[in-house]
Formats: sequence, C-alpha cells, structure tokens
Amino acid sequence: MNLMNCLILAFLLFGIGVWGLMRRRHLIGMLISIELMLNAANINFISFAYFTAQDSTAGALFSIFVIAVTACEMAIALAIIVTMYRRHHSLDADQLRDLHD
Amino acid sequence: MSIPNFIIPDLLLLLFPFIVIGSRLFCDAKSNVPWRIANIGFLLIFMLLNFIPLAGGEGRFFICNWRVDDFGVFMREVLVVSAILGMWFSKDYFMHAAAGKPQMHQIAEFIGAIAFATFGGVTVVSACDTITFFLGLEIATIPMYALTAWNKRDQLGSEAATKYILMGSVATAFELFGFSYLYGFAGSLHFDAIQSAVAAGTSPLLWIAVLFLFCGIGFKLTLFPFYTWAPDVYEGAPTPVTAVLSVTSKATAIAFLVVLVYGPLAPVQEQIAPLIALLAGVTLFVGNLGALKQYRLRRFMAYSSIAQAGYIMVALLGTAAMAKTAIIYYLFVYAVSNYLAFFVFGIIGHHREEIFDSLRGLSKQNPSLAIALAISMFSLAGIPPLAGFFGKFHLFFSGATTGHYMLIAFAVLNNVLALFYYLQLVKSAWVDEPDGHLNPLRLTRRQRGVIILLSCAVVVLGFLPFLSDNIFMGFSGF
Repeated sequence: MNLMNCLILAFLLFGIGVWGLMRRRHLIGMLISIELMLNAANINFISFAYFTAQDSTAGALFSIFVIAVTACEMAIALAIIVTMYRRHHSLDADQLRDLHD
Repeated sequence: MSIPNFIIPDLLLLLFPFIVIGSRLFCDAKSNVPWRIANIGFLLIFMLLNFIPLAGGEGRFFICNWRVDDFGVFMREVLVVSAILGMWFSKDYFMHAAAGKPQMHQIAEFIGAIAFATFGGVTVVSACDTITFFLGLEIATIPMYALTAWNKRDQLGSEAATKYILMGSVATAFELFGFSYLYGFAGSLHFDAIQSAVAAGTSPLLWIAVLFLFCGIGFKLTLFPFYTWAPDVYEGAPTPVTAVLSVTSKATAIAFLVVLVYGPLAPVQEQIAPLIALLAGVTLFVGNLGALKQYRLRRFMAYSSIAQAGYIMVALLGTAAMAKTAIIYYLFVYAVSNYLAFFVFGIIGHHREEIFDSLRGLSKQNPSLAIALAISMFSLAGIPPLAGFFGKFHLFFSGATTGHYMLIAFAVLNNVLALFYYLQLVKSAWVDEPDGHLNPLRLTRRQRGVIILLSCAVVVLGFLPFLSDNIFMGFSGF
C-alpha cells in the first residue's frame, strides 16, 4: 500500500459519487453519492497525513471536522427532503419542476 | 487571560444568535422582545466594528489563528450591514403574508440563522488555516439551506431548498477535494506554510487543487458553469432570504476567493489570472444574457447578481491592495443597491405577484417608490453619478493595472447590454400604463425609513471618497 494507491482509490470514489449523482433520480440516492464524494476527500486527507505531510495531525483532524460538518449538512438535507416528501409523497428528483425558466 | 478589544465584536456576534433564540423562551409567542434584542445587538456590533482602528499589513492575531486585518474589518462591516438590512426586510413577512405565499413564523430563529451565516462569513475572513477557512464557509452556507426552506407550507421554498442543498453539498465536496490536494502539496494546513510551499515551486498536484477549489467556490459564487441553481433558488426562497442570499452569501464567497488568491496562492496569482479572467468574462456574459429574457422579478435579480459576480471577479486580476479596496467598496455599494431593489420588490410582492407587469403605473401610484427603484437600478447598471458607477470603475481599474484590457473592454461592452434590461425594469415602472385597477400599496414606517436611508446611501456613497480609514477611528480610544 502506498500513497498512489490511496489517491487512486479516493479519486475513483469521487468519480463514483459524481456518476451516481448524475444517474440517480432518487433524492436519498443522491445524498449517498454526495456522502461518497465527501468521504473520498477524507481518504485523501488521511493518506496524505500518513504518507507525506510534515504536519500529520492536521490532516487527521481535518477529516474529523469534515465528518462533523457532513453530519450537520445531512441533517438539514434530510429535514428538507422530509418536507418535500410530505408534499409530493415521492422522492423522485424529476418532480423538482415547479421552478424553471 | 485578557481578551483583546478587536475580538469583542466577533465574540458578540457568536453569542448573539444564542441570546436572541434563548430570549424567546422567556416571553410569549407574540412578544416583540427578541426582535428588539436583535436590533440592539446587531447595531451594537456594527458600532463596535467601526471603532476597531485599522492596523495595516498583516493585521492582528488572536491565539495565532484568528486574524483581524483591515480587509477583514471591512468585510465584517459589509456582512453585518447585510444582516441588519435583511432583518429589517424580513420583519414584514412575519407580520402579514406576501401575495400568494403563507405567512412566516419564528422570527427569533430566523434572525438567529442569519446571524450564524454572518458569523460564518466573519470566520472566512479571519481564517489562517484551511480548517477554519472550510468551517467558516460551511457555517455561512448551512443556515442558508434552512432559511431557504423556512416556509414549510410553501411548495416552491422546499423545492428551491432541495436544489440548493444538493448543489451546495456537491460544491462542498469539490472544495474539500481541492483542500485535500492542497494539503498533500504543502504538507501543512497553515496559510503561511502553504504560501511558502507554493512559492518554492509548483506541481500538477497544486493545479488540480486550484481547479477543484475554483469549481467548489464557483458553485457558491454562481460562476459560469455552476450558476444554474441560483435562479431557481432565488425565485423559490422567501423574498427576504433571497435578499440575504444575494448579498451575504455572495460576499462570503468573494471573501473566500480574495483570502485564497491573495493568501496561500499569492505566489501563483499571475498564473491563475487567465482562469479568473475566463470565469469572469463568461460569467458576466451569461448573467447578462439570462437576465434579458426574464419577466419575474426575483429570477431577474438572480441573473443580475450572477452578472455582478462576474464584474467582481474582474477585480481579482489586480494587485492585492487595489483588488481588496475595489471589492470592499463594490460590496458596500452592491449590498445597498441590491437591498434597495429588494425592499421595493418586497413592498410590491406584498400586494401583487412579483413580476415585471406588477410594476406598471408605479410612478403614478407611488412616485417615491418608483424613484427608489430607478436609483437602485441605475446604480446596479453603473450610471455615473451613482455609487454603482464608481464601484465598477474601481473594479475595472484594478483589473486594468495588470493589463487585461481585452477583458475590461468586454466587461464594459457587457455593461451596455446590462443597461438595456435594467432600463426595461425602470420603463415598466415609469412609462407603462397600468391595466385596470391597482391595489393600493401600503408602506410601514420602517419600510419608508429604510428606503429613504438606502436611496440616500446609494447617492452619497458615489460622492464621498472611499472611507479609507475606519469611520469612528478618529475619536476612539479603542
């Protein structure tokens, strides 16, 4: 296991996240894709902290902060999605059509 | 440990939302006490900010990780002004509903959320390392998601919030990816360490990091390929939230870019200038084109603010001191003009639908409102005697000092395009005859006062030389 492998893994995860976000039409599925992208960044931080960085605690710390911030963001996202669900009784992203040019 | 004076406004701003929300526990639902506390608190913070003497250079540090420099002080003032105006603007939406929308509730929490977003902006300008920087941006954005969905019974609001939070989270992911590569490149999170690493030499890793960071902030600043969420969110959110979003969130994103470009990335600023120029040019062109065909007021303002983001980006091509001065001044002007426009739209929106046709006959029905609208539109378009002209002049001047004449010429030509649609709005208010009977417009005393204040500010800011020193500093023993 070396740095390059970890970076490739993170990049692939990020790519899967982006791809999932484009392909998925289910709001929860989209949130999971976003979660994948954020965690790919976390893997980057931790692998850089482990392999190269002079200041290795900072990278590990950053990933913990990211987890906390993501939790906040997901809490609000889920709350908003629940209000959407109460109105439409479905979680399909294609129903987000009332606002357009 | 004693607390230095310059940190007091920040601490107050951090405590403030807790006090406002907490005060609601001790009074009944209809009480005006939280609103009064919020007013006093914000105005006090603004006064205190004006007492901070400017330090020049690196600024002052609090526990070596919280920097209060001159740019930071002025950005704090912009953000607090925006929060105060947003608060005043929102009050009417809690008293009676806008046309076709449910009434809003829980003003204390609403103001608290605005204050949190403001504190996020303050954190961004005070940051000295990427953790604080990232946290600041998130603190500024997350309350905005909640604010957008504030009206639970409004369908458009929750749709806008869903779009916003999905796009915003993707932007966060891009930014984090950029930060992780930046960390990998420099081996440290501190801005000084990153700066010296960047100065020592570049590598592909750095460029990938820069690209990801610009993608991420492009979402928040509504730059070209990433602006598509803005019109939807601006239209769907409650009107006061749209106003706050268009000023506070934009100011925070711009501050983020300024801190980044003139902080850790300063040694390569010239190399990333083409990227900035490209983004600026395309963004202002797309914003102007989009605004041409709008007939709904808030969607129109969204495209207008996309174009304004492009103009502000032009300043980032210049040297640090000039760009910072130009951006601060323009943000003041932009905040004042934008809020003036939104106050007028808000009053219209309380009685009619928020579309261009609702403005017809405004000059006959309520001339002072029509004058205020004309002032704000002319300022946003950049007509000479008003503040917007001098703001844009400084932005372009900053870009011109490093020789990007083609871009400046393009931006100025685009400004002519912008003039067309701003004038169209003024035309609806002044020339077009109303069809049929108009509901009378009622203005509260607060609305009238704020509109007069903002109109005067737009005119006076153009004549006054830029406040190069902090306002009250002359007679402060701070």
